[in-house]
Amino acid sequence: MNKVCSSIREIVEYAQQQYGDADAIRYKVGKNETEAKSYCDLKRDSDGFGAALAALGEQGEHIAITGMTSYAWIVAYLGVVNSGSVAVPLDVALPAEEMCELIDRADATVFVADEIRADVLAIVRERCPKVKYVISMQKEEDTKEMLSFWSLVKNHPEEFICEVEPERLATIMFTSGTTGKSKGVMLTHRNLAENATCLDMKFPERSVLLSVLPIHHAYCLSMDILKGLSLGSIVCINDSLMRMAKNIRLFRPNIILMVPLMIETMAKKLEDAAGLPPEIVKREVFGEQFHTICSGGAYLPPAMLDLFGKYGIDILQGYGMTECSPVISTTVRWDIRKGSVGRLVPNCEAKVVDEEIWVRGSSVMQGYYKMPEETKETLVDGWLRTGDLGYVDEDGFVYLTGRKKNLIITKNGENVSPEELENKIGENRLVQEILVRESEGVIEAEIFPDQEYVQKAGVEDVKAALQEVIDTYNRTAPAYKRVYRLKIRETEFPKTPSKKIRRY
Amino acid sequence: MFEKLVEVICNYVEVEPEEVHRESRFMEDLGFTSFDFMSMLGELEDELDVEIDQQQAAGIRTVGEAVDYLEELTA
Repeated sequence: MNKVCSSIREIVEYAQQQYGDADAIRYKVGKNETEAKSYCDLKRDSDGFGAALAALGEQGEHIAITGMTSYAWIVAYLGVVNSGSVAVPLDVALPAEEMCELIDRADATVFVADEIRADVLAIVRERCPKVKYVISMQKEEDTKEMLSFWSLVKNHPEEFICEVEPERLATIMFTSGTTGKSKGVMLTHRNLAENATCLDMKFPERSVLLSVLPIHHAYCLSMDILKGLSLGSIVCINDSLMRMAKNIRLFRPNIILMVPLMIETMAKKLEDAAGLPPEIVKREVFGEQFHTICSGGAYLPPAMLDLFGKYGIDILQGYGMTECSPVISTTVRWDIRKGSVGRLVPNCEAKVVDEEIWVRGSSVMQGYYKMPEETKETLVDGWLRTGDLGYVDEDGFVYLTGRKKNLIITKNGENVSPEELENKIGENRLVQEILVRESEGVIEAEIFPDQEYVQKAGVEDVKAALQEVIDTYNRTAPAYKRVYRLKIRETEFPKTPSKKIRRY
Repeated sequence: MFEKLVEVICNYVEVEPEEVHRESRFMEDLGFTSFDFMSMLGELEDELDVEIDQQQAAGIRTVGEAVDYLEELTA
């Protein structure tokens, strides 16, 4: 039953009352074996971690969490927020130095990590002097350097009573900034809980969901986890993108949240099998029980809806941003308007200012952590400036026409700041001027080399040398931030009157 | 292993076997998306009955690196 909740604690308590010993989370323990934890387990374990934080004297503090999606991650997150502390989810794939920088910027005093990032666990205390406790999700016992997550949880089985007001800060989520520096989006319990529960999408109770997206992203955390749990869903954890096809056969989900890149890749597979009856293809690829894909994170070509429709699969498209917890609008099965990214969710209103969509409502963030200037530019009298161009029709359906902000949004829903890449690559002496842009679906860098340096250093093959600069950058960058095409200019970039490179 | 990988690659992207070399980069040269690449590794895991380490997989850029890693796993 869809219940509108104003805090994450309310979601977990309500779900436990309604669903008790029913499976909440399912995960793999071997190649083809799975285990499950119930709603009661989830409440008990997350409260156990909350109680542990209180015993350590860190209740109310900022707690950084990183790891692959796992039961431990979900328990840690819920334990943190439902004890009135602030969770700082971090991308597990971040380079160690960047992760430490964010832990420090977020003023985290506790770092909870999956051993897959043993490298960060080893250096975090030295790099981040504010961190007092380092907690490993896998270690079975405490060591001199770090605490065992599960020991902490099991040592606090007592009921943990904690009132959490809706306006309390719950999460700081870092998102790519347009000026190169990532920004910590501050979201309260009300922001997240109401966004997750305000709209009844009429999904059957106890739906089986396969969670494949990165859990540190607002879309996955809010919709897979918070909304999923609020509806008594069985949230199944996909252990790796390598195994998604196999895990679909293993867990037999009804619904999967995806980004357009995944949908387009699956579309190619469906088209390859176009000669076979659709019901057979659907049964082999997704299973007969599968009925819905929820798409978010980036633009989805409308043709995908028709293609998947042929196989009896609905695609519901959403639009949003981390700063709005994150959903601003979504389509629902019974009300799809072609070309639109859906109707505004009930707790969101919108207006258009100079073609830019502004939104207001209980999901709009509190601001960027310790970035008052950037906050002032983005939040105006309670209205959030989305940076997206478009319009809203009289029924509240949103249509996007372009992007005002200088941000590349990749097909897998990742935000990439061109300026961040320009700053990093531009440090090399061979690069006099650089522009990074999206071109034909990939990230491209156009460079005007420093001819004076070329002469001085005796560089014979400028193209090869610049390719090496790009390759060096790519080696340490996550896949979605890599430069796939290099163009070399013979003349300087055209400039604006204030001598900045003209982007368009 | 190289020939096996070439066969699998040509099922995923529109390239001819002659265009695939050890130095070929999956994304820049062969046109794989990150998701295609991960899906292909999953398929290879099943076919070769091995377990591919996620972090190692994330570091593979070229066909040669993939061949070397898979040979190590199946040795």
